[in-house]
Amino acid sequence: MYVLQQLLNGICQGSIYALMAIGYAMIYGIVGLVTFTYGEIIMMGSFSAFYYFMAFGDNLVLSLICGFATAALVGIVVHKVCYQRFLDAPRHISLICTIGMSMLIKNLAIIVFGSTMKGLPIFFEGKTLVLAEKTVEGFHQQLSLTYLQIVVIVTVIVLAIALSLFLNKTRTGVRLRAVSQDRKAAALVGVNVKNTTLLGNCIGCGFGGVAGILLGLYYNSIIPTMGGAAGMKAFSSVVIGGLSNIPGAALGGISIGVIENLGIAFIPNGSGYRDVFAFVFLIIALVIKPEGLFAKRGNNA
Amino acid sequence: MMEKIKAFLKKYQLIVLIVVGILFVVAPLIINGTVKKSNYVIDIMVRILFYIIFASSLNVINGYSGQFNIGHAGFMLIGSYTGALLATKLGMGGPWYWLAIPIAGLVTALAGLLVALPTLKLRGIYLAIVTLGFSEIIRIVAMNWTAVTNGPLGVKNIPKVWLFGISKTSSPLVMYYIVFAFVILCLYTTYKVINSRVGRAWMSIREDSAASMSLGVEVGKYKAINFMYGAFWAGIGGALMAVYYRFISADMFIVDEGFNVLAMVILGGQGTLVGPIIGAVMVNMITEFFRFADEFRLVFYAILIIMMMWMRPQGLAGASNSVLAGKQIKKNDKKKSKHAAKKERV
Repeated sequence: MYVLQQLLNGICQGSIYALMAIGYAMIYGIVGLVTFTYGEIIMMGSFSAFYYFMAFGDNLVLSLICGFATAALVGIVVHKVCYQRFLDAPRHISLICTIGMSMLIKNLAIIVFGSTMKGLPIFFEGKTLVLAEKTVEGFHQQLSLTYLQIVVIVTVIVLAIALSLFLNKTRTGVRLRAVSQDRKAAALVGVNVKNTTLLGNCIGCGFGGVAGILLGLYYNSIIPTMGGAAGMKAFSSVVIGGLSNIPGAALGGISIGVIENLGIAFIPNGSGYRDVFAFVFLIIALVIKPEGLFAKRGNNA
Repeated sequence: MMEKIKAFLKKYQLIVLIVVGILFVVAPLIINGTVKKSNYVIDIMVRILFYIIFASSLNVINGYSGQFNIGHAGFMLIGSYTGALLATKLGMGGPWYWLAIPIAGLVTALAGLLVALPTLKLRGIYLAIVTLGFSEIIRIVAMNWTAVTNGPLGVKNIPKVWLFGISKTSSPLVMYYIVFAFVILCLYTTYKVINSRVGRAWMSIREDSAASMSLGVEVGKYKAINFMYGAFWAGIGGALMAVYYRFISADMFIVDEGFNVLAMVILGGQGTLVGPIIGAVMVNMITEFFRFADEFRLVFYAILIIMMMWMRPQGLAGASNSVLAGKQIKKNDKKKSKHAAKKERV
């Protein structure tokens, strides 16, 4: 029962990572460059929700939209500063640029928002949905999900389906996929590569912003320095999933969430080592399959 | 302008080198006598020396063999913790610390091998994420392994190092010369290694690993050696840092510290010997200069990094026709092709 409960918690937390990873994979797929600013974009999303709640009251759906928009706006700035000039340059140049940008956003955020931890409002009064319960030798055990966890999972699933529909059924989506597959060929058949790249980057960042809000709600606290760990989790999930492979990235995110929670549950003093599990898993995964656990065949990066 | 400076430097290479060397030797003595808060200034200079060691060691990995290590902080942490723990727990303080420094270097080199072995197949961004993960793992373990590393409190009261029976070496001035000797040693050996068979093998791997393999370079072996060499000097620098500050904690080696060293290497110029030195001096001076700006200091630093990448991506000391320069090559090509087209028309 305890194991199942941890598994459920892990899946729920993993679905947040999955959302971050989907956004990251989208950015990597379209822009073709690795970013270290993503964590800061996640942070900006959660802070935009914080100020939204302060100004307009507790409305979850609207706050998610607000987070999406804010993160997408930050994404435009990042695109202009870090990617646009360096699309054809060696990769390390834009990488250093994103590191600089991440420092810039983080430190500006510390100055503007303050370096203290802030809390987000609690939704659904912390109610839980009991799935199963039994009493073993006097110990009452139950398998439950909080309403918040359910909302998180549902949001992630809805967004993932929406993205998949958007990419496969609409013209813009097809354009995005074309650019992601081959930039030059897409330009040849008349796709506006420049704008499409920008759009893809914005959508990816928007997903990051939404994930940031969910993360803030899940832990019920946000802080300007939260981006580093979150961004690295997203990055790890994407690498496990095979870089530009969006479903793979989602699977990678969920597996990292599950492994974290199981690790904390079963290894003594595990909570201090929370971030270690993800990285150890990542390194083992890369040693076994260097192109990513869930990568498609023939997809050499 | 830049070209003229370069030509001048090339012509009087040896003289410039000697002058800069003398400057480094004499400067603290002058400062010690004249400036008011001399200890503070010399403290900054010692820090610059530390970062020269760190940046040069990272430059060997990133600049010469073209691997992408962004988790250098992990190696620095291993070196300084090894030194500190040897000194405090095994009583290797005082005169024995001279033995502890190379041991710290060797232990770190071993860690470098440990990272390099599973990652020999990985390239580019995959290698980068593994080194980043390694750096975080090491830091978190050092933070939580309370029995050995004293956990988040860090290692305190590291004994001073003895020099010819003098036990007062924690004064910045004496420490400056000790670290300076190590900097010279590090740069000299690196210079020798780079110009040897090993160094040429590294550079050939950087330029084209498939071609160098076909010419008989054992790519895997040389990559591993490269990682070990870089890690070794990071460990030595870390051990020196431990004995200078006499206190270390895991917070000093967060990922951002690794990024900081990386920024020095890239701002100075990857793949050149002087690049990391220029980078370390420049970054430390600038962050020190902006100390008045308080919390905006890091903002300025970030803007500087971005601007450097916009204007001179190959770094201050890098050549404009280097592989690392990127766009510059294209521009030159365009100019050339335009030139050629004009000629043809004529």
